[in-house]
Amino acid sequence: MTQLTRREWLSGSAATAAALAFGLVPSSLRAFAPAAGKQAPGFYRAKLGDYELTQISDGARTFPMPDGFVVNLPKDQALAAAEGAYMPKGQVTIPFNPMVVNTGSKLIVIDTGNGLGAFEATKGAAGQMNANMKAAGIDPNAVDIVLISHFHGDHIGGLKTADGKPVFPNAEIKVPAAEWAFWSDDANQAKANGFNKAQFAGVKKMLDGLGDKITKFEADKEVAPGITSIATPGHTPGHVSFVIASGNARVLVQSDVTNIPSLFLTHPDWQVVFDNDPALAVTTRHKFYDMAATEKAAVIGYHFSFPAVGHVEKDGNGYRLVPAAWNPSI
Amino acid sequence: MALTRRAALLGSATAALAPALTYTAGWAAAPAVGKQAPGFYRYKVGDVEVTVITDGVIRMKLPDTFVSNVKVDDVKAALADAHMSTDIFNNTYTPVVLNTGGKLVLIDTGVGEGGFNASKGTAGQFLNNLAAAGLKPDMIDTVVISHYHGDHMNGLVRADGSITFPNAEILVPAKEHAFWMDDGEMSRAAAGRMQELFKNNRRVFAGDVMKRLRTYEWDKEVVPGLLAVGTPGHSAGHTSHVLSSGSAKVYIQADVTHVPYLFARHPGWHAFYDQIPDMAEATRRKVYDMLAAEKMMVQGFHYPFPALAYVEKTSTGYRESLVPWNAAI
Repeated sequence: MTQLTRREWLSGSAATAAALAFGLVPSSLRAFAPAAGKQAPGFYRAKLGDYELTQISDGARTFPMPDGFVVNLPKDQALAAAEGAYMPKGQVTIPFNPMVVNTGSKLIVIDTGNGLGAFEATKGAAGQMNANMKAAGIDPNAVDIVLISHFHGDHIGGLKTADGKPVFPNAEIKVPAAEWAFWSDDANQAKANGFNKAQFAGVKKMLDGLGDKITKFEADKEVAPGITSIATPGHTPGHVSFVIASGNARVLVQSDVTNIPSLFLTHPDWQVVFDNDPALAVTTRHKFYDMAATEKAAVIGYHFSFPAVGHVEKDGNGYRLVPAAWNPSI
Repeated sequence: MALTRRAALLGSATAALAPALTYTAGWAAAPAVGKQAPGFYRYKVGDVEVTVITDGVIRMKLPDTFVSNVKVDDVKAALADAHMSTDIFNNTYTPVVLNTGGKLVLIDTGVGEGGFNASKGTAGQFLNNLAAAGLKPDMIDTVVISHYHGDHMNGLVRADGSITFPNAEILVPAKEHAFWMDDGEMSRAAAGRMQELFKNNRRVFAGDVMKRLRTYEWDKEVVPGLLAVGTPGHSAGHTSHVLSSGSAKVYIQADVTHVPYLFARHPGWHAFYDQIPDMAEATRRKVYDMLAAEKMMVQGFHYPFPALAYVEKTSTGYRESLVPWNAAI
C-alpha cells in the first residue's frame, strides 16, 4: 500500500485507503454512472400452441386531445376520462403494436406500424417497429407474409422505407379486398370524414408500386396458416380482425375494433374520430367484445399498452381490459 | 437420370423458379426463439432514472394453505377472475435500480444465483437482465434491503457464497436485522418456514456481507431522496421506501401486498408468507388507502413486470391499474 501523509489520514483518506485495502471502492471514487435515457427494446414473446408470437412496439404518440376526439361526447368529459386513466393532463397517448407470428414454417407480420418516415418525423416516438424487430432478431427479409388489417397510416406506414423501398422485400402483402376497393375509389374520398379524407394520399403513396406483391383476401377465410380474417367493419369499410389458432390455443387480434381501451373499451358507445362509420363501429365493437368476454378469449389490441395482450370482461355497460401478466420465462 | 415428361415439366418449372427463391432468406423457416425479451424497463421519477429488473418467476403448485384465512376454492376463483392458472401459482420478483445523481442504488436482490440454478433459470434472472440493461454488479454503489425473505436478499451472495456486489454498501432495516440476528427469536421460531428463514439469514448475513452492512432506521432517508417507511407485519421489520425527486414520487412497497390480483383485490386475505398476518393486513389497508387517495404510483415487488401501477379503491378492496408501457422515456 502506498504511504499516506498525516494530512491524508486526517482528512478522511484513511477510510478510502482502508476501503481500497479491503476491496471496497468508495462510491465517491467510482465512475459516475450516466442515466441510460432510453427504454428497453419493445418486444415480447408468447407461445400460442406450436406458434411463437412476438409483440413489437412501434412506439406511441402523445398529443393534446383535439376537439372532437370523441365525436359524440363533450370534450371536458373526454378529458376527464383520459385524466382518470392517468394520462398527462389535457393529453392523450395512443400506442401502436404490430406483431409477428412464427408458425414454424412461415414468418408472418400483422400490420406494420407508422413507418420509418414517421420515426424521423416524431423523433423516434413512433415508427419504432423496425428497430424493435431488429432487437428481437427478426430480419424483415425473412418475412413471408404481411397481413394488413386496414389502410390507416399507422398500420400500413411501415410497408416502405422513408425513401419508398419495400421494407419486406420477400413478403406477399395480403390486404382485405373490401378495404382495397374502398380506398381505390376516389369517389369515396369526398364522402369520407375529415380524418379518413386525409388518409387517401398516404394510402396511394404507400401502396403504389407494391402491386405485384399485393394479394387481396375476402373476410372470414384462412389468410395464412392458422390465421383467419374476421370482417369487423365500421372503423373502415374493409377493416378486419384475425383469429390465430394453433392446437387448442387461440387468440383474437382485434386490430382497431377499439382504439385505446381506457376510453373506448370502457365506453364502447364512444366514437373515436378515426372511425369512418361510427355507428357501425359501435355495433361491431359490442358484437366483437360480447364474444370475447363470453369466450374468455385472449385478445391482442393494436392500441392497447405494450405488450398489448389481455382478456376482456363485461363491466357495467362496457368492458374492462385485464392485461396479461408479463411472463418472464416462456 | 431418366425423367418422365411429366416429371421433367414439373421439375423444370420448379428449377426455373428456384434461383430467384434461393436469394430470399424468407424461404427458410425462421426458428422460434423460445426465450423472453430482456426483462428491464425504465422510467423517470423527477431527476431519478429507475430501471425495473425482473428476476423471473418460480412456478409452484398452488398450496391449499396459500391464503391462511380463506378456502383454496376462493383463491382459485380469484385466480380465474384474473385469467391466471388456478393450479399453478406464478411467483414473480421485481427488484429496481435507481440512478440518483450518478449513483446506482439497488432495492432488493431477487433469489440470486443459487435460485437461478435451482429453478433452471426461470428465476434468478436478475444478473442477466441487469447486464441486458447495460449495468454490472460492480457498478452498484448501494444495496437497500426491504426485509429478510430469500427472494429479496439471497442475491447478495453468489452460489459459491462470494459477494455479488463487490463495491456496494449494504443497507438493511435496523428492526429487521435485529429480529433475525436475535438468538432468542431464533430459539422460539416455529418449525418449518420460520426456522428455515433463520437458517438462511444466518448463512447470507455473514462474512463479507456483514463487513459491508449498515443498518438504517424508519422515517429517515436511506440515501438522498429515498425515505424508509415502516410497514411491518409481512415481517417484523418489513420496510417500504418512498422515492421522491422534485414533485414526483413512487412508493416502492416491497411486500405490503403479494400479487395484487389476490391481495390488493382482497386486502383481508392473509398470504402464507405474512409472518404477523393481522398486522400485515392493517399495514396493507393503511398503505393502500393512502396510495388510492394520493393517486401515488406503487412499485410492487410481486406485481407483474414492470410492476408499476396506480391503485383504486373498490367496494371490496383495491384494484391495481398497471401503468402503460412508455416506449420513449
